[in-house]
Amino acid sequence: MKLSRRQFIGGTAAAAAGAALFNFNLLTKSVTAADDSLEEMKTFRNVCPRNCYDTCGQISYVQNGILKKVEGDPKHGYTNGKLCLKGYTYTRRVYSPDRVKYPMKQTPRGSGNWTRISWDEAMDTIAKKILELKSRYGSTLPICFNKYSGNFGIVHYGAEGTMSSIGYTTRALGTPCWPAGIDAQTYDFGTLYSNDPEDMVNAKYLILWGQNAAWTAIHTLPFINKARERGAKLVVIDPVLTSTASKADLYIQINSSTDGALALGMARYILDNNWVDWDYARNNSVGFDEWVDYLKTNITLDWASEKTGVPQDIIREIAREYATTKPASMWVGYGMQRHINGGQNVRIIDALGVMTGNVGKSGGGVNYGHLETWGFSYNAMVNPAPKGSKGFIGPDGKEGDRNINMNNFAHDVMAQNDPPVKMLWLACRNPGSQDPDTNAIEKMFAAMEFVVTVDSFFNKTVQMSDIVLPATTHFEDWDVMASYWHYWIGINQRAIDPLYESKSDVEIAMLLSEKMNALEPGSCTFPTSGTPEEWAAKEFNPGIHSLLGISDYRELIEGPRKAKMTPASWADGKFRTPSKKIEIHSDLAEKNGLPALPVWVEDMKAPEKYPIRLFTPHPQHGLHSQFQNLDWMMTANPEPKVEIHPVLAAKYGISEGDKVKIYNDLGSIIVKAHLTRTTSPEVIVSYEAWYKDSNFNVNYTLKATPSDMGKQATGNNGVAFHDNFVTIEKA
Amino acid sequence: MTKQLGFLHNSEKCVGCQGCEMACKNEYQTDAAPRWRQVFQLREEDYSLPTRMFFSMACNHCANPECLRVCPVKAYTKREDGIVVHDHDRCIGCRLCLMACPYDRPQFNPAQKKVEKCNLCYQRIDKGEKPACVAACIPEALQLVEINEALDQRMGVLKTLPGLPSPDITQPAIRFIGPKQGKQIRRD
Repeated sequence: MKLSRRQFIGGTAAAAAGAALFNFNLLTKSVTAADDSLEEMKTFRNVCPRNCYDTCGQISYVQNGILKKVEGDPKHGYTNGKLCLKGYTYTRRVYSPDRVKYPMKQTPRGSGNWTRISWDEAMDTIAKKILELKSRYGSTLPICFNKYSGNFGIVHYGAEGTMSSIGYTTRALGTPCWPAGIDAQTYDFGTLYSNDPEDMVNAKYLILWGQNAAWTAIHTLPFINKARERGAKLVVIDPVLTSTASKADLYIQINSSTDGALALGMARYILDNNWVDWDYARNNSVGFDEWVDYLKTNITLDWASEKTGVPQDIIREIAREYATTKPASMWVGYGMQRHINGGQNVRIIDALGVMTGNVGKSGGGVNYGHLETWGFSYNAMVNPAPKGSKGFIGPDGKEGDRNINMNNFAHDVMAQNDPPVKMLWLACRNPGSQDPDTNAIEKMFAAMEFVVTVDSFFNKTVQMSDIVLPATTHFEDWDVMASYWHYWIGINQRAIDPLYESKSDVEIAMLLSEKMNALEPGSCTFPTSGTPEEWAAKEFNPGIHSLLGISDYRELIEGPRKAKMTPASWADGKFRTPSKKIEIHSDLAEKNGLPALPVWVEDMKAPEKYPIRLFTPHPQHGLHSQFQNLDWMMTANPEPKVEIHPVLAAKYGISEGDKVKIYNDLGSIIVKAHLTRTTSPEVIVSYEAWYKDSNFNVNYTLKATPSDMGKQATGNNGVAFHDNFVTIEKA
Repeated sequence: MTKQLGFLHNSEKCVGCQGCEMACKNEYQTDAAPRWRQVFQLREEDYSLPTRMFFSMACNHCANPECLRVCPVKAYTKREDGIVVHDHDRCIGCRLCLMACPYDRPQFNPAQKKVEKCNLCYQRIDKGEKPACVAACIPEALQLVEINEALDQRMGVLKTLPGLPSPDITQPAIRFIGPKQGKQIRRD
């Protein structure tokens, strides 16, 4: 059979022959058409650096310097050679015509009137502005830095390093996503430390509590499925019938934010039936009997059922099964702690795990996340302030950066007077799309003198900037990545040269340092030399080497390594609390104005005017504002929608496909209705995302309400994203 | 034809993640518009309980391919193993196959003004590899199978799902395992 060219390019080995068929402008420009000029396909090891549980091992296929496709790394024991849908779209990110290609300036800010400038002009403008502000205010505190999770590669902490090297600055401190739960586990166990997710195969009973693995941690599913094949029952508790919940043996549509009440009801029933692991609880914790007294005095199944909307017989069923089927694993999702009582609810669930002796056991655990594998050098992050730098005098009398709340960013930036904030530097961060109260964010940006953003796309934040600096993708960089869920660490090789004039955060810092020191010698301490690979190499240290059983980072080029840790967290019983035991009674929590015990704290009630709860969870087709803008994603999921229960929709005269206005005192959004019984009549759901050529942004209605915890371990409380109340009407 | 290769899709395992769809695009670096493989959501009202249920479908490599029958330029051929291959060079973009296929699986590419579709990764199959979509499926919901009597007699294997055209028209080389619904405690 004769092969035509089109048939021929179906095969991997032959994919190159069809270079002319690739639509990317870049490819047709860069590759000469003659087939004999094609190199053999090369492969490189990469790691997806997104803010995601899975942090996948990747293999990039490169020919003639062009990224041809991206596959999963079969040597990665957790992601096992497969990627999620987002991971398979990377060529469209790297070669997107929408990428920021060169340093550009926008005049005036917000106009969309962008002009290409040289790196030299960009650095000159930025350096002069920094030095001018420093001379005007006597310090670099008017410069405010906000970076978070756009790229979790360790070398990207060079963005923080850029700031520390110019002096003391104003810093957005905190984490929006998960700090309430982190603090809960910090009060209880000393830190967050979950079992190896691969160990879930050993669970005989599984409760996913507000966790939608199918969308946010899909590589855990095979381990869960394995456990189920061995007979484990899967229970999913979630106000929304997610894709994960749709697979459960038992799905419980709980009243939002009442998870703690359900756990307390379960605990009371476990106590009444004496299914308590008294030995484990009493030997390993402090305050357990005090909590038992609370359960006896305050908690009834009646109450728990009333609060949660879960029938008593179901509370009894899951309490009995969870307490008597061992080991039983619980996975606490980040969504369920995005409430004003979210951290407290996690503490109650922790206590349930302790009471049944499921903590410290293979196949058990109250699993939330961990940072055990993140012991890198953070070499790029740490630079001394230039001599004579003036800082902010903190409450402890020490001079340093001025920390403001990342989770109330607009307000806190505007509240600074001495000195005021005049300039923003944003890297790996898109507050224009991701922060609560978008209107306040827009006003705050408008009040700035100067805004610099490092990014790959002209997203909402870039649209509000004076200068954008083109960021490399991870295929154009060296880096190293760890996960906050699995135990693997992988090296990220530079697979292709940086496209256009893009640079990494560290390269930008080096350039800025050169420019600042040329303008004012000694004004920046960031090193001005080092190849990307050298910067990555410096992140390794003896601790990481021994954790991975390597003596050199280059060994990771042979494949990612799994940290040498026990499959069960806390198996050694050495908790990191002040008492070295699990603190069911936490003095630290009490000192911070929280209940000492895992007791019930009331949830937020809907105000009369805005009776509907708006959930804005993580999307399937993107990670926050990343991926959804790519052309393949726009085909797979062309427009946003709001999921409305048919009963609620009928009440407001809304039909399938209608445009719906969702609003409250803060703002409004208009989005297409999808009627579904996967949500309840009290809750509507619209997934956060940044669509191409669209102003859709769920955060216009979202108040910066703090969750109850986060301050202890992360500096600031989280955002109660899911305590957002609105009303709706047909638009 | 000595055998008929095809797909077995298990809605009990599928979470609708669309990994298969993107793995296909990644393998062939297709343009944005054509969806050689596509994940569809099953209608809530067709089942006793509302859940998120899906199936994934590419070309069904039918035993009686209507696309092949109607194509005026003989762009379609059927291999010995049953795979229906579309020859992009022969295609004139007339789109008769789009009208003929009950499953909308030949995809028109407006940029090239031609049709394209899933060729079941036959080059990978010829090398002993799995199709890209099957290899990428994390919950192992999608399998490459031989469509035969033994498969059809397996418990739970279905020839169609609610909402799909009758398989009698083209005898598609796809089989299904339907969704399984657990117990639900609901608030409505």
